[in-house]
Amino acid sequence: MLGLSSATLLGMPIAQMMARAGETQQAKAENVILFWNGGGMSHIDTWDPKPGRPVAGEFDPINTSADGIQISSIFPKLAKQMHHATLIRSIAGTNGAHGRASYQLQTSYNQSGNLVHPGIGSIVTHEKERLGDLPAFITISGNARRAGYLGQRCEAYYVGRPGEKDPYLAFPAGITQLRGNKRLDILAKMNVRNARNLSADQAKAVNTATEEAVNLMRSPALKAFELNGEDPKTVARYGDTEFGRGALLARRLVETGVRFVQVNRGGFDTHNNNFPAMQNHGDVMDPALASLVEDLAASGQLEKTMVIVLSEFGRTPRINNNAGRDHHARCFSCFMAGGGIKGGQVIGKSDEDAMLPAERPVNPNDLHASICHALGIDHSREVETPLGRPMRLISEGAKPVLELFG
Amino acid sequence: MKPVTIFTSCFLLISTVSVLADSTKVDALLAKKNAQAEKPIAVAKGIDDLTFLRRASVDVIGRIPTAAEVAEFQKWPVAERRSKLVEKLLADPRYADRWTVFFSDILRIRSNATGGNAFLAYLHQGLKQNRAWDKMSREMLSANGSSGKVPAVGLILGEEVDAMAMAAATSQMFLGVRMQCAQCHNHPFDVWKQKQFYELATYFGKTRRIENQFSRRVYTTEGSETTVLWPPERKKPPVRNPVAPKFPFELEEFTSVPQYVKRFEAKRAEEALAANGANEGKSLSALLDDVDPNAAFDKERGFGKSVAQEAKAATQALDIEGDLYRQSLQRTELAEKVTSPYNRYFARNLVNRMWAELIGRGFYEPVDDFQDIVTHREALDHLSDEFVAGGYDIKGLIRMIMLTEAYSRGHLDPEIPLAERNVAEENFAAATSRRMVSEVLYDSIVVAGHLTDFKWPAGANVRTFTERIRVVDGVVEGGPATAGPGDSPNMAPNMMARPMGGSGYDLEGQIALNFDELLKSELEKDLASMKMMSDAELQRQQQMAAMAQQNTTGPRRKYKYVEIERKVDDNPRFSSTMRMATPAPPAHFLRVFGQPARDSLANFREHNPSMRQQLMMLNGKATHEAARVGPMEPMHTLLGGDKQDITAAIELAYMEILTRKPDLEELKFAREIVGTGKPALDGMADLRWALLNSNEFRYIP
Repeated sequence: MLGLSSATLLGMPIAQMMARAGETQQAKAENVILFWNGGGMSHIDTWDPKPGRPVAGEFDPINTSADGIQISSIFPKLAKQMHHATLIRSIAGTNGAHGRASYQLQTSYNQSGNLVHPGIGSIVTHEKERLGDLPAFITISGNARRAGYLGQRCEAYYVGRPGEKDPYLAFPAGITQLRGNKRLDILAKMNVRNARNLSADQAKAVNTATEEAVNLMRSPALKAFELNGEDPKTVARYGDTEFGRGALLARRLVETGVRFVQVNRGGFDTHNNNFPAMQNHGDVMDPALASLVEDLAASGQLEKTMVIVLSEFGRTPRINNNAGRDHHARCFSCFMAGGGIKGGQVIGKSDEDAMLPAERPVNPNDLHASICHALGIDHSREVETPLGRPMRLISEGAKPVLELFG
Repeated sequence: MKPVTIFTSCFLLISTVSVLADSTKVDALLAKKNAQAEKPIAVAKGIDDLTFLRRASVDVIGRIPTAAEVAEFQKWPVAERRSKLVEKLLADPRYADRWTVFFSDILRIRSNATGGNAFLAYLHQGLKQNRAWDKMSREMLSANGSSGKVPAVGLILGEEVDAMAMAAATSQMFLGVRMQCAQCHNHPFDVWKQKQFYELATYFGKTRRIENQFSRRVYTTEGSETTVLWPPERKKPPVRNPVAPKFPFELEEFTSVPQYVKRFEAKRAEEALAANGANEGKSLSALLDDVDPNAAFDKERGFGKSVAQEAKAATQALDIEGDLYRQSLQRTELAEKVTSPYNRYFARNLVNRMWAELIGRGFYEPVDDFQDIVTHREALDHLSDEFVAGGYDIKGLIRMIMLTEAYSRGHLDPEIPLAERNVAEENFAAATSRRMVSEVLYDSIVVAGHLTDFKWPAGANVRTFTERIRVVDGVVEGGPATAGPGDSPNMAPNMMARPMGGSGYDLEGQIALNFDELLKSELEKDLASMKMMSDAELQRQQQMAAMAQQNTTGPRRKYKYVEIERKVDDNPRFSSTMRMATPAPPAHFLRVFGQPARDSLANFREHNPSMRQQLMMLNGKATHEAARVGPMEPMHTLLGGDKQDITAAIELAYMEILTRKPDLEELKFAREIVGTGKPALDGMADLRWALLNSNEFRYIP
């Protein structure tokens, strides 16, 4: 009884009260860039090197700009930005299958047959007002989780190939601005007349959608999508890869007011030949992530923008007979920077072989609670599904990792 | 005239007359109920024949009528036009395509689920042959085996062979009742108790999903113990006992056999006599063999061939070994109860869903949540009884609904106050507005724009596209050998091939290319996620990997991007979206317009307008190409040369796109748009673009 009363005050768990108190003071973040690395990214070969152990693999750890923090040698440029970042090395995942784990790491919920839980991007879109003309949530080079019970409004806007023109944002080739506008004018006149087979509400909703579409087509903010105005040296600095362009586009989008950008990339399911594959990943990711953090920091945008590099799980410390690593969910790592996150620190610790968390285990849903916390969203708030079932934004038991915010 | 022909046409006449009597009875029952309303309910006028043609075509074959079909329809005698049209549409090959979409939503069919495409093909085949709904339902509920032998097993495979999920699915899909809340607790508002849910689930409790570790073939079979135990685990009980099956729904009781059941039994007896059972029990593979592969590609229907072949390849791959499965006695018993003519829920569920699809709202809503609140009980009961008596004939049900006056109601004048309009619509005295479902909308744009076949000569649309591609740029000195992943983001974009000549309109297409690509990658993904491997399997895999490595030994490559120019004859020809792998990838046109992901029960279509929809309609490839006037379409001659006739051209545009003539004011406005240029192609394209984007086009008249 005593234990219970000491853990709660005025009926509210103390941890929750502390989290609440923290929200008002620390909601510094306004935007999020999530790098989603599909397939299960090896934690030992990235954020949690284990030099001298049989599990160490082929990469040597390198020193970084953060005192006493080492990361894998596949990230030489990013190493120079680590004073901006926090690494969490003790994520205690519970799902070892790709589908279920990606679901959990992006929604905070375990997959169930009855309900589609929204991804974290949709949750942020639902809770925070839109800034500017561009869609609040944009996913690049792949699909984000769906909005589920939060509805179509919270779905991500899809950008297939970063930097290339999105044909749906302009009149088709051969249709000039003048002619396109004339067409819109004809259409408006036609729709005023023919209103019989739809209700006034529906007609109004179509009109609003058209207005939004046309506003977006005419918005100067659209320039953010196109990288051909960008200095070729900048494009090269990010590494002229799809991923590099995705990172550069993400930066331009958050600068233009997009709340949540998700950049997707796969190829981390390295059951075979893990090391050359990870070296390739490093070659692609290192210039992009390093330039992004550097540029955001230089412009001051990093204070408002949280950057997260995440995957559905890590990979086995044991190297298998194919020089690969298999799925490992019980302990893995992630990279976070910006949006009020204290730089140059490590949270949690894995055991000597990065097999299990040794200190400060972090549950997957604690990460989502932390994102909410940074943005000033009450993660335990309940919303109703269309069937009237109350659901927490983030699954039960989630606690923001307050050490992130110093 | 041959005697056989006479017999057939007499028979047809008789059956139409009796359906008409049933339809008239439905209208009478609706009117009887509506007459009891305190305030008189406004009644909308009936629609004219052309509006009926458009509405019926959209509903039955999933696209608007062509100008040729309009002309044919108008030649028919006025008195029998509508019933004749309904017969014609029900016999159209597109009928099965369109209604596969409807049933795929209910049964949440996903091409990428285990057995998903075989299940899709099974359903399509059943609709094509107009198999009775109770027979198909029994198969789906009771099947065990592999999807190659018994494609109906796709239902339970799609629910992960989970007893709880199957209980929820059975009640929601087949009976129109939501019991899933009772899975976790006694629902405060519902009558269903948690124990009842468990008793229903336990019918499925002995079914097991087996995956052969070597062939990766998946099948279901029957174990000896149920996995469903009581009390529920979350209550952490000391002991949990197997639950005995009990059907939670009460069957109707009568002192004597009711008339509609007698008729049903007589019909089945008659059918049994007539049938030689030739097609019963054939494997999917055999059924697919019956399809002429050359006939399967159809100008309008598109890639039927591709679907059939893919489905066949997939099922044959799973059929390498013989089946080792046992039938489920429990599930057979359950299927009998679910589909019993005495189980009012079963017939009523499909009748109400079908009514809602065709009329715009159900007798009860939501259609999968029967709570005993029904707007017109007698009419619903009558329709249900007739559906049973007719032997659960799906086409018969559609016919019965479409020949009611309720189906032919117009929309009330927008001047009438909203509240009054709503009352009339809720009581089926006026048409409820319905938007075309996404597949129908897309296919209608395609048919309105003459895009089912080339409308341009070869070489008329040659365009140059710039494309960024990745090429090898030397090797890394001293680097290890690899066939590493480089920069390929092997996620969704790879699922969408570049069908539109590199022009970036991936989200509207494209269909055959996309289908193969998607099916392949999804299968591989499935396999990867199912890796629970035996030692032998691991060993085999290692050997294969070692071999693969030998083949790729060499220096690690460096890559760079280059921009290349490609010349493409971008001559548009579009296919039906109804035979794509389903559901389409997220962000695809179909999904943006509301096709559900079907990843959970009650994942309904959304019909709300959105910005993204407008962007795809205003700027998309399909609307743009449909609007352009091609030299090989009839419109072209009316716009230039000696035979220029702008009025006729405008009238044709209205007929092809809106299935009606323009009124004088519209004609005047259209003349201004089209102009008098020779040829007036751009002006006509502008007019057609606006008509295709208009609300009138998108919403059913």
